[in-house]
Amino acid sequence: MKKLRITVEGKPYEVTVEELSEASQTAAAPTGVASVASASVGAAPASAPAPAHAPSGPGVVTSPLGGVVISVSVEVGQAVKEGEVLLTVEAMKMNTQVFAPNDGSVEEIHVKAGDAVAEGQAMLKLA
Amino acid sequence: MPINQQFIDELQARREKALVCGGKDKIEARHKKGQLSARERLDSLFDANSFQEVGMHAVHRGRLFGMEGKELPADGVITGIGRIAGHTVAAYSQDFTVAGGSLGEVHAQKICDIMDYAQRCGIPVIGFNDSGGARIQEGVESLSGYGKVFFKNVYCSGVIPQIAVIAGPCAGGAAYSPALADFLIMVQGTAQMFICGPEVIKAATGETVTMDEIGSAAAHASVAGNIHFVARDDTHALDLVRKLLSFLPANNIQDPRHDLSQSVSLEPDDAMNTLIPEDPKGAIDAIKVIQRLVDQADFFEVQQDWAKNLVIGFGRIGGIVVGIVANQSSVKAGTLDIDSSDKGARFIRFCNAFNIPIVTLVDTGGFMPGKAQERGGIIRHGAKMLFAYASATVPKITVIMRKAYGGAYLAMCSRDLGADMVYAWPTAEIAVMGAEGAVNVLYREEIKKAADPAARRAELIKQYRDEFASPYQAAGRCMVTDVIDPSSTRAVVAAALRNTLSKRETRPPKKHGNIPL
Repeated sequence: MKKLRITVEGKPYEVTVEELSEASQTAAAPTGVASVASASVGAAPASAPAPAHAPSGPGVVTSPLGGVVISVSVEVGQAVKEGEVLLTVEAMKMNTQVFAPNDGSVEEIHVKAGDAVAEGQAMLKLA
Repeated sequence: MPINQQFIDELQARREKALVCGGKDKIEARHKKGQLSARERLDSLFDANSFQEVGMHAVHRGRLFGMEGKELPADGVITGIGRIAGHTVAAYSQDFTVAGGSLGEVHAQKICDIMDYAQRCGIPVIGFNDSGGARIQEGVESLSGYGKVFFKNVYCSGVIPQIAVIAGPCAGGAAYSPALADFLIMVQGTAQMFICGPEVIKAATGETVTMDEIGSAAAHASVAGNIHFVARDDTHALDLVRKLLSFLPANNIQDPRHDLSQSVSLEPDDAMNTLIPEDPKGAIDAIKVIQRLVDQADFFEVQQDWAKNLVIGFGRIGGIVVGIVANQSSVKAGTLDIDSSDKGARFIRFCNAFNIPIVTLVDTGGFMPGKAQERGGIIRHGAKMLFAYASATVPKITVIMRKAYGGAYLAMCSRDLGADMVYAWPTAEIAVMGAEGAVNVLYREEIKKAADPAARRAELIKQYRDEFASPYQAAGRCMVTDVIDPSSTRAVVAAALRNTLSKRETRPPKKHGNIPL
């Protein structure tokens, strides 16, 4: 059913028109409808590969946030007490100190001053 | 006595200055980059001769840093009201050729004023974002200007539809105005959007990123999920605006643009049955199903590049505008996960805010298992789907096509979450969990004691599947309104929608619910 305004000899008439030969609803999905759709961007843009992290495990001290190592305060073989500062990471204009979670001795150090670290990246291992 | 010609001449001269924006050469430069000017965007968007500009003669109030006496036509933003396909709409368009489209006190005031007008008159707002950001010369006034715009975005949210077009740079805090709008349309190539750009990130944390990774339309569309539509260019963006508006009401107390003049056809659609593969592990393409359901196969998909395991978008069924939410089983087995839950929930809430009935198509294996999902907060994200559906008071029609297991069955607009009608195909599997998992729990002892545990287990799985992986348990308890032949889905849903349009539901008074976020 269509509503049309038809003007005959200058006089407008509003009429309702019924189409007697209607296309079947089961016809194939019709094309030709002006289709407006969002452009597709395909696959997600690849992010640069993350730096290889040393495996996590007991005694591994990770960075609490992304930043740059400002200073390493201990040496391999050094005995440390719980709460002692191990390294300092600078990010967003703040120095964040990373403390020893328990007593132990420094087994491995994976970073040096000036290295960029990601959140969760292993920096140091305590034995 | 006729008006003194010098008055007309002066007005004419001032108008011409405003209309030339930042200058012909700057506009030419934009054309070369494939961009329209700020005024051209509005001219092309609105019906011919329908645009009434507001605030053409606005002047900035900057006094410091060389601003005193500087002429900035329209203070870098054109605002006004016009008609789109005959419907009144308000818009603002930032002018990059004037002080880099930077936002100062008066620029912000113009935007706020047009948003106020739109809210009073109950008409949608379209914002063309194309700006270098805060006008630093105006200091905290610029900052405050953004604050005022954000406040208006939120004040109007759920009252009038707000569509943001990212048509150029949209950096730092400026990105929050589009973020607070209902839909974002971003132009590929010529537009960038980010809170902290690559330089700021490098300076703050040392991390190296490219603009493509964080600020491009592709990144926002497919990774971050910040935007809803991608435009190839400015002209396509305008088409997308018009298309989107064609489904929406002007405001929250109006109905969407239903066409109730056509009668509902009850003709069966046999082709629908061909979309269901015989192998239960084969995928049903939700897009194809939706195209057969909506009038003229005209489905306007939203966020098509993100969280593809859930499909959302607008269409009409039997003339009635609907928001459609469907699991896409070819992606992540149609499971619900963090991103798809966010995607679905926000869309459902938009539809509810603007009186748009919701049709849900279900084929989901459940919520996605995994450490990343659990630690990522699938609990609070998945809960958003439940909250959105249960709190929606628009007509809700659900069609369970195939798998509907456990919490995901509930989350996909089940009867208990307030669906008005739930139809199930004969292929529907509505159960607490899949046969394998259920048998492990229910028959653990029996399987252990069996002569051939593997064979017994397989037997029990088949038995469970035959009895419970069907719609009839749920239908028996009236959780399913009816089991229907897929070929009758369109007719049944169209009729159900027509009958449910008069639905009105009230809830206990409260300021607002506390949706998990």
